[in-house]
Amino acid sequence: MRRRSGRAIEIWLIALLVALVATVQIRSQAEVERSLVGTDTTTLAFLIDDLHRANDALSVETADLMQRKAALQSGGSPAADQELAAEANRLRAIEGLVPVHGPGIVMVVDASGLQALDLQDALNNLAVAGAEAIAVNDHRVGMGVAILAVSGGVSIDGEVITPPWTISAIGDANRLAEAADLMTRQLRADRRVRQATYRVEAVIDIRAVTTERPYVYANQS
Amino acid sequence: MARNRILGIVGVALVALATGFLLAGQVKAQLLTPSNDVARYQALVRSVQDLEKTNESSRAKIASLRAEIDALEAVAAGQSAATRDLQSQVADLRAHAGLTAVHGPGVEIDLRNGTPAPDQGGTTGYLINYQDVQDVVNLVFADGAEGVSVSGRRITPLSAFSGSAGQVIIDQGSPLSAPIKVFAVGDRNRLVTALEDPASLPDLRARQVRFQIAVTVTGSPDMKLPAYDSSLQIPHVSTS
Repeated sequence: MRRRSGRAIEIWLIALLVALVATVQIRSQAEVERSLVGTDTTTLAFLIDDLHRANDALSVETADLMQRKAALQSGGSPAADQELAAEANRLRAIEGLVPVHGPGIVMVVDASGLQALDLQDALNNLAVAGAEAIAVNDHRVGMGVAILAVSGGVSIDGEVITPPWTISAIGDANRLAEAADLMTRQLRADRRVRQATYRVEAVIDIRAVTTERPYVYANQS
Repeated sequence: MARNRILGIVGVALVALATGFLLAGQVKAQLLTPSNDVARYQALVRSVQDLEKTNESSRAKIASLRAEIDALEAVAAGQSAATRDLQSQVADLRAHAGLTAVHGPGVEIDLRNGTPAPDQGGTTGYLINYQDVQDVVNLVFADGAEGVSVSGRRITPLSAFSGSAGQVIIDQGSPLSAPIKVFAVGDRNRLVTALEDPASLPDLRARQVRFQIAVTVTGSPDMKLPAYDSSLQIPHVSTS
């Protein structure tokens, strides 16, 4: 009788162990499957890098806004005039309404058959690299400036631009140079491209401006 | 007889030893390694989540500071005609830069992931990517949109699109993934016509056929676009 109950305990212990191992194994696999949906570790690492850079930029903006708020709180109307004039000047530069200058790169692409999408991709790559003002063949580009495929190639704001494309971008010259280096290498591998080069310049002058477009449909909330 | 018994015991011991090693190897490969992978993976996910929380609170802080600055400027404008004139100019410039919430007629474009094609295993063509969003935004601006937002992020003259498969990063925001909603304020009929033109958005249309990516365009009499809530710095630009 004692021997039979001892054997039953052994069987229960073995069953418990098997159940435990199976549970741990199944939970571990399920956790891996659930957490790995969609994103691999390399992508996550790049994401962390991007978010660090983004949060640093947001901190700079926050500090700048706090400084402006403090100036307005302490200075009254004269301080407000000064702040508003500086803000107007900055926004005109951002919107491409005034000529600007600063460090950056000049990229020259001589090719036949490149599309509007190729130019849009190149401009977006420069924007990702922190371009603060861009012109292509002396046409200022930016939000609302149409870059379209036309029969003669590509048009910017209704004017056809003929190759070579000279893209001038103002911003952090090191970051822009990295982006331009990668782009020109890729472009040189494209059979349509005869030449793709870039140079870094201490001062780039962008004289071209865009025209103001008053709102017709949009209303400020 | 005794010799056979000893050989039998040694044989059983060797088999037991081999089974033990096999079991240990199996446990290590199937159980411990995934656990370590999960821990490492979860640490990365936690980092992303923490950074996203910081990102969100920083953007909320920026929006609140901009509102406070607006209020202080309005008070100052009440004291001087010159300040009022300047404030009016800046308000217009801010609206065009995307720093002010706007509303008006327009379109909503919904972009949804498709399904992986059976013969295209491993590719990500069925996912909405940043270039799709970039192409849609460029198209609506080219067709007269006066303001655009992407899943609640307002587009500005300095906006840039990046990301990897299935993820869309706009400016300093945290990553977005499908479904992506693009809102554009402008001439509704012109925008709908442009978006429904079979010649527009060639890459997206090809992948609509191949992967059943969904692109839905809906006109609306009143779209609401939020104000931009991230950084708009131009430290390297000087005006002449």
